[in-house]
Amino acid sequence: MFFVTISRQTGSLGDEIASLLSQRLEMKLITHDFVMSNWLPQLANKYELHMLKESPKFYRNQSASGIRFSEFIEHRLREEVEKNPVVILGLGAQVIFYQNSNAINVRIVASKDIRRSRLIQKYGLSVDEAERFLTLSDRKHRRYISTIYEKDWSDPTLYHICINTDNMSIDEAVETLAYLVETRSREHPSGYTKETKTLLKENTEPVSFAHPSEEEFSKILDMYNIEWDYEPKTFPIEWDAEGNVTKAFTPDFYLPKFDTYIELTTMEQKYVSEKKKKVRLLKKLYPGTNINIVFKKDFHTLLKRYGLTRGDDSK
Amino acid sequence: MNKKNIGRVIITESELQKRVAELGKQISQDYKDKHPVIVGILKGAFYFVADLTRHITVPINVDFLAIGVYPEVSNQTGIVKITKDPDISIVNRHVIMVEDIVGTGLTLGYLYQHLESFKPKSLKICTLLDNPATRLVNIPIDYCGFTVPDVYVVGYGLDYQNEFRHLPYIAEFSKASEE
Repeated sequence: MFFVTISRQTGSLGDEIASLLSQRLEMKLITHDFVMSNWLPQLANKYELHMLKESPKFYRNQSASGIRFSEFIEHRLREEVEKNPVVILGLGAQVIFYQNSNAINVRIVASKDIRRSRLIQKYGLSVDEAERFLTLSDRKHRRYISTIYEKDWSDPTLYHICINTDNMSIDEAVETLAYLVETRSREHPSGYTKETKTLLKENTEPVSFAHPSEEEFSKILDMYNIEWDYEPKTFPIEWDAEGNVTKAFTPDFYLPKFDTYIELTTMEQKYVSEKKKKVRLLKKLYPGTNINIVFKKDFHTLLKRYGLTRGDDSK
Repeated sequence: MNKKNIGRVIITESELQKRVAELGKQISQDYKDKHPVIVGILKGAFYFVADLTRHITVPINVDFLAIGVYPEVSNQTGIVKITKDPDISIVNRHVIMVEDIVGTGLTLGYLYQHLESFKPKSLKICTLLDNPATRLVNIPIDYCGFTVPDVYVVGYGLDYQNEFRHLPYIAEFSKASEE
């Protein structure tokens, strides 16, 4: 069952679009106000409800029943999308359902000038008042996401579509989104687009290793039931004056559970120095990245220990 | 097997006992009112567990877990398997896994994932020795007795072909002269 999450800037018409879209598609609309009135009173007292209105940090507090308020909202949202077709406005839903193939994550934006003008017109504010309103409101939205979910709400990869309402009417935006939802429901009922399904299939096919030693090492990781990805990421490590990447480094393995990259250096010593240099550079440029090198001697010790006798070729 | 393979003593008996007592005291402070389960990894950690737990002054349960590494049993690839699970349920309990030595971290990673699958309330790692020079898998170590250089060591539970576990100190061992 598909559902829509909408994140909006103040004055972007996101509220109006969410409301009309839910009517147009006959989907239940879940907003922050709805959650404050219907869900949170189940576990928050009057003081806590007040604090939840005021402070994003307070969502990280535990309720008397032992669950954090943010976790409670997340839990209820997950239940809701399983049961009903819904449009969720705000609430960090674009982060909560980031990897849910049934989610269509939408961001509604507009330029600052247009948003300011809309606020002046809607609330009769002065230019300065409208400016301050926008600043505070944007900061509050950003803080809610960064405090609870440690994400940047303006990160475009959190969304499938971004609509700028500077020169797009509410009706046009609603029809655009309705078309997307209806097309997705009709043509990709599994939730995945054709392209994504192909990618998922490719990811489950056997890995083609560049060197036999890498395959041997993958067997050792498999023996220990340690999940690994093969060459999942390339780190640029040198650039020319124009900012073009001139040197990059792709570690052989990544262990997602332990957030560790591993590079095999089963080659001759003269090449090892170059790899060591790359690793040093990578650590300097990407602080906090865990990367370990497996040297030739250690690699052969491992192979011997686990009965993997191949892997003598240099890499 | 000859004692001549044993090299210099890296950690003396008194140094071991002093540090183990400190670790026991630290764990007692950290686990007040938590009633943790100490899970020792057999066989290497059994002396360490025996001494460590006698320095812990808060209520604890003690259990053991054993792992077997069997090279060359199927298609040239060895297998790793748990040969003994803890008898005590660790579900929703605070657990401290006690190892003799952490090297590559492969075994530790395997054990950590295995114990984590029982859904303990918390899971921390205590190791007598840490050899970070050979680390491949990064796992935070919560309690560490000593950091050791990248040499083969025996004693105080650590063995070479099941020998030398009973030595009351940690010493270098030279496999080369044995072979």
